[in-house]
Amino acid sequence: MAAAASATGGETRLLDRCIDVAARSAATVEVWRRQRRSLERLPAQLADALLRRLAARGLLFPSLLEVFQRSVEEVDLSGLAAVDAEWLAYLGSFRYLRVLKLADCKNITNPAVWALSGMNTLKELDLSRCSKISDAGIKHIVTIESLEKLHLSETGLTDNGVMAISSLTNLHLLDLGGIQMTDNALRSLRVCGLIVTVSVATLFATEPAGLLHEATSITKTPDNVVSFLQDKSRTRWTVLTRLEYLDIWGSETTNEGASIFKAFTRLRFLNLSWTYVTNLTLPLTMRSLNMSNCTIHSICDEDSEFPVPLETFIASAASFGNIDEILSSIQANSLLYLDLCVCSLSNLSFIEKMENLVHLDLSSSRITDDAIEHIARIGANLKYLSLKDTGITSQALCILAGTVPNLMSLSLADTKIDDSALPYISMMPLLRTVDLSSTCIEGFAHTDVTVEKKLSMSEFENLRYLESLNLEGIPLSAEVIPPLASITALKFLYLRSDFLSDPALHSLSSASNLVHLGFCGNILSSSGLLQFVPPAKLCVLDLRGCWILPGDAISVFCRRYPKIEVKHELMQDLNANHVGTSQLHKPRKSQVSKAKVANSLAGPSRLLGFSIVDERIKYTKEELLELQHLVESNLAMHAVRLPPELQRTT
Amino acid sequence: MVGKGEPVAVPPVPRDDNEEEDDTAGFVKLISAEGFEFVVDKKAAMVSNTLRNMLTSPGGFSETRHGEVRFPEITTHILEKICQYFYWSLHYSSGKETTEFPIEPEITLELMMAANYLDT
Repeated sequence: MAAAASATGGETRLLDRCIDVAARSAATVEVWRRQRRSLERLPAQLADALLRRLAARGLLFPSLLEVFQRSVEEVDLSGLAAVDAEWLAYLGSFRYLRVLKLADCKNITNPAVWALSGMNTLKELDLSRCSKISDAGIKHIVTIESLEKLHLSETGLTDNGVMAISSLTNLHLLDLGGIQMTDNALRSLRVCGLIVTVSVATLFATEPAGLLHEATSITKTPDNVVSFLQDKSRTRWTVLTRLEYLDIWGSETTNEGASIFKAFTRLRFLNLSWTYVTNLTLPLTMRSLNMSNCTIHSICDEDSEFPVPLETFIASAASFGNIDEILSSIQANSLLYLDLCVCSLSNLSFIEKMENLVHLDLSSSRITDDAIEHIARIGANLKYLSLKDTGITSQALCILAGTVPNLMSLSLADTKIDDSALPYISMMPLLRTVDLSSTCIEGFAHTDVTVEKKLSMSEFENLRYLESLNLEGIPLSAEVIPPLASITALKFLYLRSDFLSDPALHSLSSASNLVHLGFCGNILSSSGLLQFVPPAKLCVLDLRGCWILPGDAISVFCRRYPKIEVKHELMQDLNANHVGTSQLHKPRKSQVSKAKVANSLAGPSRLLGFSIVDERIKYTKEELLELQHLVESNLAMHAVRLPPELQRTT
Repeated sequence: MVGKGEPVAVPPVPRDDNEEEDDTAGFVKLISAEGFEFVVDKKAAMVSNTLRNMLTSPGGFSETRHGEVRFPEITTHILEKICQYFYWSLHYSSGKETTEFPIEPEITLELMMAANYLDT
């Protein structure tokens, strides 16, 4: 494949070029729109791609949908506010539609979804956040018996609507997040009461054979088979037997409703965040559980012999009864992903059994250096570790170094770590992303004996794979920046600060792989920007908050380096002045139009408001005095630091 | 689907070039639905992954032996455009060509299907 890619120059394929031309403008659409025979022969994946491109370019309108009715299988119009009853009327006539995603289409009403009723090719329907959909709309949706995946989060559904869903027996995935439903509705998904008609009951006639097979395949001990079957016989009237994924975050579900989950014998994913569930019984098929913002007392029956083999457990901002007990009901060595951020944890000894953990998030969990020892014991497989906003110090890194050979992402933001941690971080060989924002790092390693300062940033040069480094919110001085330019793989660098100036930016000219440079809030002068020779691969230069930069310097820079996207508060106004002059920046055009809207809404006062902000308020008096000195020293430093080939006369 | 049937399964187009096998070592003959023949450099034809597979797979396809491929569902003007694209792509990747490849809106649908079949 690599050879093939090089044969086409690694460039856009002919296929993509065709789709691009076809969806270039309303005029080109008119040219091919009448070619009915070709349109009907269009293979589904091409028709889908063409429709997607038209939607993305805003060229789609209801009657144009008609030409796709025999070819398209997947439609994603998520976020298009224009989609209304007329659009759905056309979509309803699509012959082979399998997937229809209409998330965030705010103008879809209950009567509008009538057009979809009985579309039995449809397997997936996404109406998330279509806030006008309520119980009356569900009536039409439940006629689509083929549905396997249904997303209805944050719609106007109530209990009655949810109860109606129980007739969709093919559902694997049901997303009811953010719906005000109670336990009654949840029970209806399970209990075959009077709601379900005889025709549904006949569907279960075929169940027992498969059930037995499933029972024997899952459990091995005879006792267990018996208990499993007993369990099954109790729940064989479960309505949504095939459910694998259930999302009911934010509902009013309590323990009573939660007692039914064990009946969903194929359930793998469950999201209960922001509910009132405290005690939970789960089927052993469960793999992923989200209970963030819940109060958790128990996760399994007390009499259950088997711990649940969860792979993912998210309990951010949850409060625990006895955390050791709760986590012991999860099979420790199956757990791969554990998120306990914003939980108040004192003791991490439970973590020692979770030897296969890959992702561990303990941010804002109030842990201190003492807890790090436990993490070090299970560090072998860790790839992601967040200790953001915890009570750790550099000592923690000393403990971790050498125990996390596979770590790829490390967040230490908002902690008290300082420069002495950097040598330990550089001993984690596979690190790709490091977040050190708002820490106590200065860029100098202090040796107690001598006053001599040593640049500590050069430690990062040992990290061969380091791609992203976040040093925002640290009062770094310009002299510590140059070592950053020699981190070979570095692509993303974030240096938001209030104190860096021109020489810091210039020293990054030699960062050969840098793609994104965040230099927000710094003291960058117009001559400083214009003398900057950006690294060859730079795509984004984020200068937001560089308040002394005048607009003309930015526009000169943009003209000189058209491939670099510059972000700055003045960019919108600059772009607005150049509408239509540049064909190169297609993505920016949308920004321009947004800016125009913003301008028209805010009126002239917005511009005025920007110019009178006094940026001095963010500095103390001493800092301001220092800044004054900084500008003078900049001039002196140019002559010394900038190599002749990088100098540029303006 | 464009050209779903194997090109060899199509009734032969009346042509008399069967003896050329050896002479076109570095070339391959692409034959359109109407029987028009385009002789292109093998290197250019390899821009298409489908053709690359046909021409490089050891002994499997009769196309490899005869050095000609029939496209019963690609019309002449589309196949011509495809051949132009092969050469343009070669030149573009070697830096000799800098202008964009021109595609007329009228032929986008047909060309799309042909490009899809040829995997290019």
